Amino acid sequence: MSDNKYIIEVNNLEKSYGDTLVLKDISFSVSEGEVLSIIGSSGSGKSTLLRAINQLESIEGGEVIICGDTLCNNNNLILSNEEKRKIQLHNGLVFQDFNLFPHMSILQNITEALIYVLKKDKKEAKEIALSLLDKMGLKDRAAAYPSQLSGGQKQRVSIARALALKPNVLWFDEPTSALDPELTGEILKVIKDLAKEKMTMVVVTHEMAFAKEISDRVIFMDDGIIAEEGTPEEVFDNPKNPRTKQFLQRF
Amino acid sequence: MTHLLIPMLEGTLVSVKIFFFTLLFALPLGLLIAKAKQSRFWVVRKLINTYIMIMRGTPLILQLIFVYFAPYYIFSTSFDRLNAAIIAYVINYGAYFAEIYRGGIQSIDKGQYEAGKVLGFTKAHTFFHVIFPQVIKEIIPAMGNEVITLVKDTALAQTIGVAEVFRVAKTASAREFSTTPLFIAGVFYFIMNAVVSKVFDRMEKKLSYYD
Amino acid sequence: MKKLLTILVLAIFSVATIAASGAKENQADVSLEKVMNAGVFVLGLDDSFPPMGYRDKNNEIVGYDIDLAKEVTSRMGVELVNQPIDWSSKEQELATSNIDCIWNGFTKTDERAKVILFSKPYLKNQQILIVKNSSPFNSLEDLKGKSVGLQGGSSASDAMDASPEFKASLKEIIEFSENLTALMDLEAGGVDAVLLDLFVANDNIKRSGKDFRIIKGSLTEEEYAIGFRKNDVALRDKVQSILQDMASDGTIAAISTKWFDADISVVTEN
Repeated sequence: MSDNKYIIEVNNLEKSYGDTLVLKDISFSVSEGEVLSIIGSSGSGKSTLLRAINQLESIEGGEVIICGDTLCNNNNLILSNEEKRKIQLHNGLVFQDFNLFPHMSILQNITEALIYVLKKDKKEAKEIALSLLDKMGLKDRAAAYPSQLSGGQKQRVSIARALALKPNVLWFDEPTSALDPELTGEILKVIKDLAKEKMTMVVVTHEMAFAKEISDRVIFMDDGIIAEEGTPEEVFDNPKNPRTKQFLQRF
Repeated sequence: MTHLLIPMLEGTLVSVKIFFFTLLFALPLGLLIAKAKQSRFWVVRKLINTYIMIMRGTPLILQLIFVYFAPYYIFSTSFDRLNAAIIAYVINYGAYFAEIYRGGIQSIDKGQYEAGKVLGFTKAHTFFHVIFPQVIKEIIPAMGNEVITLVKDTALAQTIGVAEVFRVAKTASAREFSTTPLFIAGVFYFIMNAVVSKVFDRMEKKLSYYD
Repeated sequence: MKKLLTILVLAIFSVATIAASGAKENQADVSLEKVMNAGVFVLGLDDSFPPMGYRDKNNEIVGYDIDLAKEVTSRMGVELVNQPIDWSSKEQELATSNIDCIWNGFTKTDERAKVILFSKPYLKNQQILIVKNSSPFNSLEDLKGKSVGLQGGSSASDAMDASPEFKASLKEIIEFSENLTALMDLEAGGVDAVLLDLFVANDNIKRSGKDFRIIKGSLTEEEYAIGFRKNDVALRDKVQSILQDMASDGTIAAISTKWFDADISVVTEN
């Protein structure tokens, strides 16, 4: 990684679906060890933004630099598949719907990438995976299959799977939205613990209290633009944008 | 009775040969075709769709006749009967398998592809290690049906003079003035399909360790 | 529908055959040379047509036509290969050179002679009616208002179509896919009589030991001949001349007696 002080740098990012512009002139950055929350209503583009930076959606304009590696810029940069894959390994992503591999045990879910992407040998991969599962409190369920676990447990495995590749930044796409309310707490605790360990994270979420508690900075998105940005106190307690006020009133 | 059984067994061997080689080539061919159907190029997709339509829209008997006789008019040579039969079956069943694979692949949640992508898997690795194992579980019932149909379809090869078990039984029946040989042929098909069903049940059971 | 399509495709191929053979007219006739060089003469037959060509208890292909062919090829100095084919594709098998001739109680007709080169006839056949011994039928007239079974797509079927008065006098005509099933129905009483080749009838009664007999009167007279590709004149002529030698030296008479208890061959002597 270069001396670039930002882990994530986004300048004037644009994204469209066909003729419709859904992300307009997005600019923000994420520093090492920082926890950034992105909030906003459905359709505001927050998940789209997360997915675009993680190469799950196309980007039509602007600049994205991840750990000093340029993913895209306005000069028609063409990257090979191999280069794109390398950039993606800076990112870890935890999906709303977990997306665990149902035909593999939870241990295998984690070792798969360790063995095939990081080229670790099976023994080392197993050790790493088991220690991560231990951290998540699931070591004794290592041989279980995803279908045998609760939603909260599945999400913890997802997080372990993403952490296994030692990403520079961990992205969460509404990590608790698919969970029953009583299971939300366990996930929020995991994220809190990761924050204590100074893991760089970007969390797209509906959980306002949580966002306020753990974030170093908050971005409020509305209709494809960044409507407000600042510390949790600034955004939640003293929002400048009337749209922000309107949104927060609902919570 | 033995003079009856030996030619019947020879016929059975021919039927099994057709069955085995058809599966051997049509199973991978079907996957290739299913993938080709997802091609970016419009021409490729159109060609594949036309091929599948013809294979499923015309009788297999007709395709057998075509594969066996047409080469003479075009290239002035003929395939050996058994080879022609196997070629025709492979081309035909390849199309049916392709559609089954396609259905299975489409039923896999997009999130599986996305998880592979964010973990840095190559497309090939995602397909063979994540997607395809799930597809197999999904398509076993449909595949089982097709394979059972194949066992019975081998009887059509007699149209181009292949001495499979049904033809042998018919000839023996005419000679013996009895329907016993036909009944024995029926038993052969029944046993073959019982074995096939059992194999597929086992596979289904084996893959039920997850939902 | 499937049968219709099959017939359609075969028809298209037959037309292609005629067109192709028309184009080859001006080439030299190497048909005999080819067979001599290959050392093999392939005879195409439906191997369930006793007594002309069929499989015996040891699953060997035998029959009157086979014995004739064995002797002919022996005298030619080539090996005889009996190739079972599907009878409805016989013209295609011949046209695409998968067989060198059709020799299986093959009836010569004007229609067929348009696309096939025939040898001179070697047997005369009749389409006759077979009934249960215990039945009261003795002539064609006795079958007025009764039901008759026959094999679909066979010479029997053609013969029935060529006899409109007889056809009209019947209650019904039932088509079977095989002579075997037609005869089974006769035994069971489903039909009153079965129309088929005289030879097949005689052979059936002799070997099955069933209680059938043949009634007086025939529908048509036919001739069996050997079918060759239109341009294979040299090959046909060679086979023809050997058959005539066999007629002269009594070989055919012996073979005929073996199968029919009498010399009924119509091959002319040299």
